[in-house]
Amino acid sequence: MTDLLLSQIKLGAESQFGTDEYVVNLGPQHPATHGVLRLIVKLDGETVKETTPVLGYLHRSIEKICENRTYPQCITYTDRVDYVSAMSVNLAFALATERLMGLEAPPRAQWLRMIMVELQRLASHLLWMGAFAGDIGALTPFLYGLRERERIIDLFEMTCGQRLTYNYIRIGGVMIDVLPEFVPKCRAFLDYFEPKIAEYEELLTYNPIFLERTKGVGIISPEVGINAGVCGPSLRGSGVPCDVRKQQPYLYYDQVKFNECLETAGDCWSRYRVRMREIRESVSILRQCLDRLEPGPFETKLPPVLKAPPASEIYSRIESSRGEMGVYLVGDGTIKPWKCKFRCASFNNTYVLDQLTRGWKIADIMAVLGSLDMIVPEVDR
Amino acid sequence: MTNEEMKTKIESDFKDWILSAAVSPQKEVIITAKPATYLSLCRDLRDKNEYSFQHLSCLTAVDYPKENKMTVVCHLWSYKKCAQLTLKVDVDRANPRIPTVENVWKSANWFEREVFDLYGIIFEGHSDLRRIMMPEDYTKFPLRKDFTDDGFIVKPN
Amino acid sequence: MVHLIANLLQQALGAVGLSGFAFIINPIVSAVVMFGGISVFVMFLVWMERKVSAHMQSRIGPNRVGVFGLLQTVADALKLTTKEDIKPVHRDKIPYYIAPIIAFVATFAGMIVIPFDKGVSVQNLNIGILYVISITSFTVIAILSAGWSSNNKFALLGGFRSAAQIVSYEVPLVMSLVPVIMTAGTLNLNNVVEYQQKAGYWFVVPQFIAFLIFITSATAEANRAPFDIPEAESELIGGFHTEYSGVKFAMFFLGEYIAIIVSSAVAVTVFLGGWLPLPFLGSLPIPGFAWFVAKLLFVIYLIMAFRWTFPRLRVDQLMDFGWKVLIPISILNILITGFCILFFGKGV
Repeated sequence: MTDLLLSQIKLGAESQFGTDEYVVNLGPQHPATHGVLRLIVKLDGETVKETTPVLGYLHRSIEKICENRTYPQCITYTDRVDYVSAMSVNLAFALATERLMGLEAPPRAQWLRMIMVELQRLASHLLWMGAFAGDIGALTPFLYGLRERERIIDLFEMTCGQRLTYNYIRIGGVMIDVLPEFVPKCRAFLDYFEPKIAEYEELLTYNPIFLERTKGVGIISPEVGINAGVCGPSLRGSGVPCDVRKQQPYLYYDQVKFNECLETAGDCWSRYRVRMREIRESVSILRQCLDRLEPGPFETKLPPVLKAPPASEIYSRIESSRGEMGVYLVGDGTIKPWKCKFRCASFNNTYVLDQLTRGWKIADIMAVLGSLDMIVPEVDR
Repeated sequence: MTNEEMKTKIESDFKDWILSAAVSPQKEVIITAKPATYLSLCRDLRDKNEYSFQHLSCLTAVDYPKENKMTVVCHLWSYKKCAQLTLKVDVDRANPRIPTVENVWKSANWFEREVFDLYGIIFEGHSDLRRIMMPEDYTKFPLRKDFTDDGFIVKPN
Repeated sequence: MVHLIANLLQQALGAVGLSGFAFIINPIVSAVVMFGGISVFVMFLVWMERKVSAHMQSRIGPNRVGVFGLLQTVADALKLTTKEDIKPVHRDKIPYYIAPIIAFVATFAGMIVIPFDKGVSVQNLNIGILYVISITSFTVIAILSAGWSSNNKFALLGGFRSAAQIVSYEVPLVMSLVPVIMTAGTLNLNNVVEYQQKAGYWFVVPQFIAFLIFITSATAEANRAPFDIPEAESELIGGFHTEYSGVKFAMFFLGEYIAIIVSSAVAVTVFLGGWLPLPFLGSLPIPGFAWFVAKLLFVIYLIMAFRWTFPRLRVDQLMDFGWKVLIPISILNILITGFCILFFGKGV
């Protein structure tokens, strides 16, 4: 088997004219790769001929670990799948397990989950905006984004005591009910936050240099995007309605009003616009959720030992901050999942990087990589 | 199209190509393909207008050492019909070979590399089949159930 | 004061019977004073940049070392000088060591002709403008050799980018100064200021476009954002100075800031009336030197504000902007100025 592996490793293609290719190793330690992604870039001058992502530097074998933990124990590991948007992965796993076992969380828990996940989406998109702008050289938006993200994290900390890996959304409900002052504080935050969105847009959206760097760069056509498995805001930038919240509603997303944000151009700027508009939509969803949050139990009574039915399986999808997040669980009648697979948006979004950057300049790799919003822990798991 | 309708439709349309079709208690349509016609089934599911499963949401594998098989599981999603389909195909555990669906869905490229890396299933015709997560000189397949390693301890139930 | 010290030293030399060497005293004293002054000014600028960026990013900035964090840069400079000097093994030794020195000296030498006050400059050259432009463009050699000799792919890319960039932006930089030279009829920086005094207006008023072009090109010349592609952090890590650490890095750093000072000083002298007071404030008892520094800080603030506002251009867009936008405009500007001189006898 090893021989097969070695023979499969492609060496650099010989160039016709006897000139060497300029092969640059971006990463695994590089300021712009958002973690330990390694890109082997073949250059012709400044022009990119080929980009080969090399994954696995952050592989923590979470799927294998989950196979050897009980269902409630797995939740802790899901935090680490995407630590920028930990609530979403918590939710994805909790929902999958509930569907597998036929459980249902009470309404208050569902609304709380929606609030948390949308807040998490705001936090994640804010961080993304800063990192994206930083990738193409504007350092100030990063601080602006983090300023507001900090307040969201404070809300999370108030609720569950954690600032990064929350472990809040549990099977059958949530960890703990929110404090009475959470709702007014959350409302106050939304009131404070909404005018700030205009501030970011003012700084970036129509900045001529920003337009120059992002318009027309890294175009994903709808056909290529769907075929290559691109999902989430990155695909909506190409005009494909693919929001799981609309297509396969979970929680109470069918009971709130929100628009699916679509752009048509499919370039970096469209993806940026989609995410900025999604921030506004999330704010509106949050307001509706806060209005409809009513007192009640925050978790269901779970059986003392959580066991999946034998030979059962579920593939449950949610819309995480980065796109489609799927959890595939196979139950074998024991307390541990027989198989646990996380389908992560970043994994597929990173796959198209090569196609998007061929023929562009080295600086565009950063712009495209940033606009796809990839998070290395999610790619490697 | 409800799940039941889809199940019966698939059963009638592809009756020679599939081994079984069922709606699971979790309300998912699960079909098991024959390895020989797996590729053409995938192509038809993608291209036929009444299915148009253009999105390969997930491709992974499950190891069943007791039955001496591994199952490749594809989760398909149709943006047009808003429908989900689970497509399974069994491979022999001793000689795990299955044609690649990379030419049907580009996204299968990395999914199959991952399955090859972690399960050792060889996807015939794959353009770039090499390890993706583990080191290139690694010899084991970690997600197989009989995987052992020095640092790996399974807690007893 | 420089002259006072120089005179004292000359007398001292004369007293010990070495009056033959008196001619070296003046340059040495000037150099020492300039070096000290500029170094302190650069430290202040670094602090200012941090404070400006902090203000723009709703942060506080350095506030621990000294009053308002004023000594933060001193602490950083000390840290840099005591740091281990890490060198790549396969470096090309001679260019590797020479590069930071050139980067520093070339920009520093540009300060010589800047008139800080009426008649106060180290050397009152009558080709001052030409001198500044040519001496500061030596930095491209430093950056290129740093990029090449580091034996690092990122550094080499940075070096090449820098060479292309500086060569391209040198042209609009010079061309933006040509209308002023044509109007004032002199290359001497002192005389340019005196012309503005006599004419009663600063060149920024009739030559505002030239001023904009100059500031833009000067930002590009100094490798500052949004034109910082030679050291683009998110692409090339550190660009040409990736492999430099400790004192050598400090020299590049110093060189970059001195380049900003020189460009801003030329902008102040040529376009903003140098040491001349602001209009209607000429009667205030403020020395010309203070006016000069105030204007200098204003221009430097502008350049800093650019950096913390804009994203970075891509390398080909940068070239396009230089060759397809700035150069045609500056040529047009020269033409128009020429016609004005022809028909009205003086510049616009």
